[in-house]
Amino acid sequence: MPETATRPIRILLADDHTVMRNGLRLLLERQPNLEVVGEASDGRETVRLAESVAPDVVVLDIAMPNLNGIEAARQITASRPEAAIVILSMHSDESYVIRALKAGARAYLLKDSAEGDLIAAIHAISEGKSFFSPAISRILVEDYMRQLEQKHVEDTYELLTAREREILQLLAEGKTNKEVAAVLNLSVYTVETHRTHILQKLNLHNVPELILYAVRKGIIT
Amino acid sequence: MGPAEPVAQSRTRLVLLAGFGGLLALMAVGGFDAIQVLRQIQSRNVQIRQVFLTRNRALEHIRSSLYLSGTVVRDYLLDPELAGAADELGRLRTLRSEMASAMDAYGRSLTAGEAEPVQALQAGLTAYWDGLEPALRWSPQQRRRQGYAFVQRVLLPRRAAVLDLADRIAALNEKELNGGDERLEEMFGRFRRRLLVMLAATLSMGLVLAAVAASHILRLERQSAARYQLVMRAQNELKELSARLVKAQEEERRAISRELHDEVGQSLSALLMELGNLAAVVPRNLEPLQRHLESIRKLAESSVQVARNMSLLLRPSMLDDFGLVPALEWQARESSKRTGMAVSVEADEVSDNLPDDHNTCVYRVVQEALHNCARHAQAHSVRIRVRQTSRHILLSIQDDGRGFDARRVRGLGLVGMEERVQHLGGSFQVKSEPGRGTVLEVELPVPKELAAERAPEVQNA
Repeated sequence: MPETATRPIRILLADDHTVMRNGLRLLLERQPNLEVVGEASDGRETVRLAESVAPDVVVLDIAMPNLNGIEAARQITASRPEAAIVILSMHSDESYVIRALKAGARAYLLKDSAEGDLIAAIHAISEGKSFFSPAISRILVEDYMRQLEQKHVEDTYELLTAREREILQLLAEGKTNKEVAAVLNLSVYTVETHRTHILQKLNLHNVPELILYAVRKGIIT
Repeated sequence: MGPAEPVAQSRTRLVLLAGFGGLLALMAVGGFDAIQVLRQIQSRNVQIRQVFLTRNRALEHIRSSLYLSGTVVRDYLLDPELAGAADELGRLRTLRSEMASAMDAYGRSLTAGEAEPVQALQAGLTAYWDGLEPALRWSPQQRRRQGYAFVQRVLLPRRAAVLDLADRIAALNEKELNGGDERLEEMFGRFRRRLLVMLAATLSMGLVLAAVAASHILRLERQSAARYQLVMRAQNELKELSARLVKAQEEERRAISRELHDEVGQSLSALLMELGNLAAVVPRNLEPLQRHLESIRKLAESSVQVARNMSLLLRPSMLDDFGLVPALEWQARESSKRTGMAVSVEADEVSDNLPDDHNTCVYRVVQEALHNCARHAQAHSVRIRVRQTSRHILLSIQDDGRGFDARRVRGLGLVGMEERVQHLGGSFQVKSEPGRGTVLEVELPVPKELAAERAPEVQNA
C-alpha cells in the first residue's frame, strides 16, 4: 500500500442497490486515504459523474438500470482513460469477466467478497495492476486446468521463451508496452514484437484475453 | 355434435335397412311370382293341347268307326252269301260300343257352345244305329232285294249327316284350341304387365334408396370432415398450448433466476458488507461476538453461493445478457465440472442478437442433450457445434457414448426437444446406433432481418 500518498484516491461508487452502496461507502471511508466523491444508481448517471467529478477509481456494478456496468465501463474508458475501473458483480462466470476486461475494467470482484477484497483491489489498480477476487481466480484456474486435462492438449505456455513469459506477466499486470520496455531495458519496438509473438503462440487476440489467460495460468491473481 | 345426431343417424340406418330389405323382398317375390306364372302358363298350355288331342282322337275314332261300320254294313247287306255274316254283326256291335264310349269320353268335358252339337251328334249316332238296326235283322233274301236301296237311301245319307256333325264338332274343338291359345296369350299379357309394374316399382324404389344412401354417405362424409377439422384444430391447440406452457415455464424460470440473483444475492452481499462493517467496529477482544459474526458471515456466504447456483441452473443470465454462445460455453464448463465429460463448444458466426425463442430453444436442447450424454450415454466427450448461415442456425451435438437404436427409442426428452424445435419451424434429427454414439442435429430458420446482420465476431471458448 502506498503509505506516501498525499492525495487520497478519489472513488465513484455505482450500484443500484442502496444498502450495498451505503455499506461500500462505510467500508471505504474507514480507510484513511480513500475518498468517495460520488454515488450513482444507474449506468448513465455513472458515465455523467465520471466526467464531472473526475474519480481515480470507479467501482461499478454490472446489473444496473438504463445502462449496464459493462457498457458504462466502455464509455468511461473511452472518455476518461485515466480512471481505473473495478467491476463489482454478482456474476462469477468468465463471460462476464472477459467482457468487463474488454470494456476497460482492470479489476473484477465478486460482491460477496467485496468487503475483504475491495480495498486491496483499489490500491492495486491505482498502481496500474490488475486484480481479481480470489474466488474468480480460483474458478478460472480450475476451469483451465480441467480443460487441459480433458482435452489432452499441449499447454501453450510451454511454447513461450523465458523473456516472453516475463513480458506476458508485466503486460497482464497492466503495464503498457513503454513501461515494460523501461522495466526490462528493451526498446518499445522489441516489446511490441514479443507481444505479437506471445499472442500468436497463445492464440489470443487482445490484452484482456491475455490478462484472463494469465489469471487462468495463475501468473497473476 | 348434438344428441339429435345419433338419433337421426340410427333412423337413417333403419330407413336404409328397411329399404334394402324391401327391395330384396320385392325382387324375390317378383321372381318367385314370375316363375309361378310361367309354370302355370306352361301346364295350362300342355293341358289345352292334351284336351284338344284327346278330343280330336275321339272324333277321329268316331269318324273312322263310322266309315268302318258303313263298310261293314254294306258288305253285310250287299253280299248275302257272306260266310262270316255273324262275325260282321259282332264287329258292328263292337264298333257301336266303341263309338259310344268315345262319345262318352268326349261328352265329359264340354264348354257351353259344344253341348248342343255334341248332343246332336249323339242323337245323330243313335238315329244312325237305330236306322241300321232293322236292316241287320233281315234275312239274306231281304238283304238281296232291298240291300242296295237301303245303302243308297238310308245308310249313306245318315252317315253323311253324322260325319257332318262330327266335322262341326271338330271345328268347335279347333276353335276351343284357338280360344285356349288366346287365353294363354291373355295370361302372358297380364304377366308382362305385372312384370313391368314390378320392374318399375323395383327401379323407383332402388332410385329412392340410392338417393337416400347417397345423401346419407354425403352427410357422413361431411361429418367426418368436420370431425377431422375438429381433431386437427384440437391438435394444433394442444401444440400451441404446450408451446405456451414451455414459454410460460421459461418466463417463470427467468423471473425467479433474476430475482434470486439480483435481489436475494444482492441483499445477501449487502448483508455481508454490513457484517464486515459491524465486525470492524466490534472490539477484537469481544470474542464470542466476533465468533457469532463469523458464523453469520459463513452462513450468508454459503447462501449467496446457493442463490447464485440456483439462479444459473434455472436460466443462466448470460443467455439474456450476452446471447447464446456464452451461455452454451458456461453450460459446457458446468457440465464438464459436474460429470467429468470433456465438452467442447465450437461456434461460428453466431449472432449474439438472436431472438429470445431461438436462444432458449438451442440452449435447452443442448442442456437436455448434455444431460442425456452424462446420464444415459455415459459419453467421455461431447462436441457441440453451432453455426449460423444466411437462413438457418445449425446445431449439432455429437457424443462418443454407447448410443441407442434411434428408430425405436423415443423418450430421453427427445420428444420435448423436437417439439421445441418444431414450434420454431425447425427440423430435428437423431442419428444413433448402439455402440456408435449419438449425433443430434437441429436446423432452425432465422428471421430475415437477423440473417442480414450476422455477428462477424468469432467467439472463442
